[in-house]
Amino acid sequence: MIDLVNVSRLYHRGSDEIHALERVSLHVERQRFVALMGPSGSGKSTLLNVLAGLDRPNSGEVTVAGQHLNDMSEDELAAFRAHTVGFVFQFFNLIPVLSAVENVELPLLLTSLSRAERRQRAETALRVVGLADRGTHRPRELSGGEQQRVAIARSIVTDAELIVADEPTGDLDAKNAEEILSLLQTLRRDFGKTVVIVTHDPRAEKWVDEVIHLDKGILLETRPGGAARAGAAG
Amino acid sequence: MALPLSYSWRSLLARGVRTAFTVMVIALVVVATTLFWSLIASLKRTLVSSGSPQNLVVMRKGATNDGSSQLSLDAFQAIRFFDGIAKDEHGDPLVSPELVVQPFFHRPDGGRENVLVRGVDPVALRVHDEVRIAQGRMFKPSSSEAVVGKSVTGRYQGAALGQELHFGTGTWKVVGILESGGSSFESEVWVDARQLADDAKRSLPYSGFRIRVAPGADMDALARRIADDPRWALQATREIDYYESLSSTANTLYIIVAGLAVLAGIGAMFGATNTMYAAVQARTSEIGTLRALGFSRGAILSAFLAESVMTAAFAFAIGAVVAWALGLGISWAMGGIGFAASTFSTNVVVLRVAPQDLLMPLALAVLIGVFGGLAPAAAAASLRPVEALRKA
Amino acid sequence: MKYLPLVIRNLGRNKLRSLLTGSAIALAIALVCILRTMPAGLDAVLANASANTRISTHNEAGIVYSMPYAYLQKVRGIPGVVAAISWNWFGGAIDVDKGVEFPNFAVDADDFSKVYADWGVPQQQFEDFRKYRDAAMVGHLTLEKHRWKVGDQVTLQSTVYPVSLSFRIVGEIPTSTPSFYFQREYLSQALAAAGVPFDTTGMIWSRVDDPERVNAVMAQIDQMFHNGDAITSSETEKSFVGNFFSGLKQLVTIIEIVAGLVTLCIVFIAANTASMSIRERVAEIAILKAMGFRKQTIFSTLLAEAGLLALVAGLAGAVTAFVLTKLLQRYAAGAGPQLGPLTAFVVSSAILVQAIFISFFIGILSGWVPALGASRRSVAQTLREVF
Repeated sequence: MIDLVNVSRLYHRGSDEIHALERVSLHVERQRFVALMGPSGSGKSTLLNVLAGLDRPNSGEVTVAGQHLNDMSEDELAAFRAHTVGFVFQFFNLIPVLSAVENVELPLLLTSLSRAERRQRAETALRVVGLADRGTHRPRELSGGEQQRVAIARSIVTDAELIVADEPTGDLDAKNAEEILSLLQTLRRDFGKTVVIVTHDPRAEKWVDEVIHLDKGILLETRPGGAARAGAAG
Repeated sequence: MALPLSYSWRSLLARGVRTAFTVMVIALVVVATTLFWSLIASLKRTLVSSGSPQNLVVMRKGATNDGSSQLSLDAFQAIRFFDGIAKDEHGDPLVSPELVVQPFFHRPDGGRENVLVRGVDPVALRVHDEVRIAQGRMFKPSSSEAVVGKSVTGRYQGAALGQELHFGTGTWKVVGILESGGSSFESEVWVDARQLADDAKRSLPYSGFRIRVAPGADMDALARRIADDPRWALQATREIDYYESLSSTANTLYIIVAGLAVLAGIGAMFGATNTMYAAVQARTSEIGTLRALGFSRGAILSAFLAESVMTAAFAFAIGAVVAWALGLGISWAMGGIGFAASTFSTNVVVLRVAPQDLLMPLALAVLIGVFGGLAPAAAAASLRPVEALRKA
Repeated sequence: MKYLPLVIRNLGRNKLRSLLTGSAIALAIALVCILRTMPAGLDAVLANASANTRISTHNEAGIVYSMPYAYLQKVRGIPGVVAAISWNWFGGAIDVDKGVEFPNFAVDADDFSKVYADWGVPQQQFEDFRKYRDAAMVGHLTLEKHRWKVGDQVTLQSTVYPVSLSFRIVGEIPTSTPSFYFQREYLSQALAAAGVPFDTTGMIWSRVDDPERVNAVMAQIDQMFHNGDAITSSETEKSFVGNFFSGLKQLVTIIEIVAGLVTLCIVFIAANTASMSIRERVAEIAILKAMGFRKQTIFSTLLAEAGLLALVAGLAGAVTAFVLTKLLQRYAAGAGPQLGPLTAFVVSSAILVQAIFISFFIGILSGWVPALGASRRSVAQTLREVF
């Protein structure tokens, strides 16, 4: 599903040169739940951005879902993201002036579906995350955990193959965090999505198939996560 | 304990673009208001400065201006010997009989205006003592000569020293330029009264006359005596009151301009309020910190209000300078502005932004600053420290 | 179009801000409309005068110079002249202390209806004007201002002649002229009784049968009186009116400058709001781009926000201007006699429509830069900064 070969990313902050990624190579199979972990500044968010088509590497090859991202123009990357990727962020996910179901519907505006079809898909997605009855609520009326679930519903509404989430549990308490991780695992197990998350949270390990460790822009190791072990055991 | 003014000032500078936009909005309103206000004020200044407190204007009863009045010769000859009228060194009464006609004058660009031509005798210069011949000389009687007011020169074809003016049925040589301290006489052309009467084919030779009252004499008694005389239907007014009443028509213009200024001011105020609200919103945690440190609600209110007023004051300063420069520019580019006076002639007004004209725009700017910033400042002051810090 | 709900919702994001901005723009637009009605009043008067075959004849020296009344008959005899009447300024005032409040003239009743056939006055009223010696025909603006109607009695004291006359209003003139007309014969009789000679006139107005012949007829008239008591100058009504108000050209320029300043004001009001509200949404916009919305889409929706707000505000402003000018017409029209038709406060639908479009384009213009900047921001950069 995801193939990165010798990818490097360098950017400037003020007068500093930050080597976010140094010749990182990565291979993720379809329908895997992967966690990118590492300390602050390790480049994990940058790596996520690159494989999601949000950022372009300075060097190296990026191939996702069979598409070669390097040569794509900005518009082509946008189209790629629209069809292939679903996004969940730590905060600012939802547009405050739209209701939950309208937020979930948002990516469907990029398709040619009719209003009724868009609404139907959105409601289905909300059902998947267990928020069917909260569709008309505005984000400020929802708890942090509920907001993240709406964001997840939005990420699957276009049938994207790849779901990426940057610190999806960062702002949540333990109970809500577990629920979110469980939901993300469901996406992989029951809907066949490939899920890649960036997280600090060590508890995430037991939910994922693979943990990829980074530090200072270098891929340190890849090892199986709790779910893989459970799967292997079971 | 109050917050120092530098807090307000630096906060303004920190949000440079937003402050600049708000300043532009208020400054533009100041410029627009000042231009209009100065225009009317310049008009009023021209009219009000005309006339001497020692003079009476005598016209036919019912006439509102000397251009629409007509008097007979015997009225003039009888009244000039009334008591209370000043006399010159030869013992002749200082009474100036005048004929007012408004012929067409043509502008260089082809436009046509009515100009007040005053037919006078040499005694006119004694009675209208604020008028003096600044260049050239007074015309000689019966020689088809004319003196033109300062604002007339250059405004019409032939209106320059040494040139020939064509108006009425004749040609007049311009031999002098008269000045009168910016009053409406500078928009007039003076010629010999008898020649003008011939030219205009007037049956009655005079429109009215101006009387110089003797020092210490009772002006009102003289005026009453003239008005009550059963032989003719006349009225006599103090010259300054006469011009004051002509200028009173400008008062409605003041009201119109004031109304427009209020409209513009409210608009600018809304703009200022917007900016201040955004500032309060952006600095919520900052306000929380200040309150936690111990600054009172009043201090916060004053600080934000000060920001708003400073913005308005700065905008006023810029607006005043731009308006003043624009006034100069307009005067240079367009010359004097012609106003159709109620005398059915053209009053040439030189647009000038005088210091007193800026009082109204200043008041407007201050009101914009105070009322524009009041609600947001109150909102800032009412923030509770704990909530404000939590929003950070 | 499917983004319209999103655009509208975004305007409701900060209702107070949208309301304040909208109100500010609405007031500014109202002001611009009111200012522009002033020159429009002048244009309306000129337009009225343009499409007809009426010509004026006056003393070349000025209209305060008179011509012999005998000229009228001679003008009527010129081939091509269908009808001609004379005007004499009466200078009548309702209250002598207040002075003359509207122009009033003594005119020849016989040809009056022929010369002014295009005024749209009902034939019956023209008939009454001819029938009753004390009849008066008045412009509708003056009637409204003084709350008179057809049938009322009005007395005017002349400030030029030593008479006071009482009139009966028989007709209403629908055009924008404020003038009050009555029969010359009526004045003539009163002056004869007072022993005042009355054999001159101030102006002669003629109707020519064919527009092609206008120039020829004017030349003929002036030629006829070239060596007479009074040298005449003839010009079309449009030219006369244009010259009459040529002094106002300078004022109009100043009014237009001020209107321009106020319009510029609107740009800054709208730009300020657009930049503030867009800057606050930087993170949200980044997420939209992450989801796959192209920068052109983001740009257009942000631009549409600014444009829509300005458009609605412009509409509100135009309505406000309409209401205000109606009030001004009622209470302040003609208030500035110095300004003549500038204070007729004629608001045309053209001005209102133009104002709405101007507002819309200003909204678009001022939102351009902030919207462009926001749409072009690198997503990755933003995410780095925000998270």
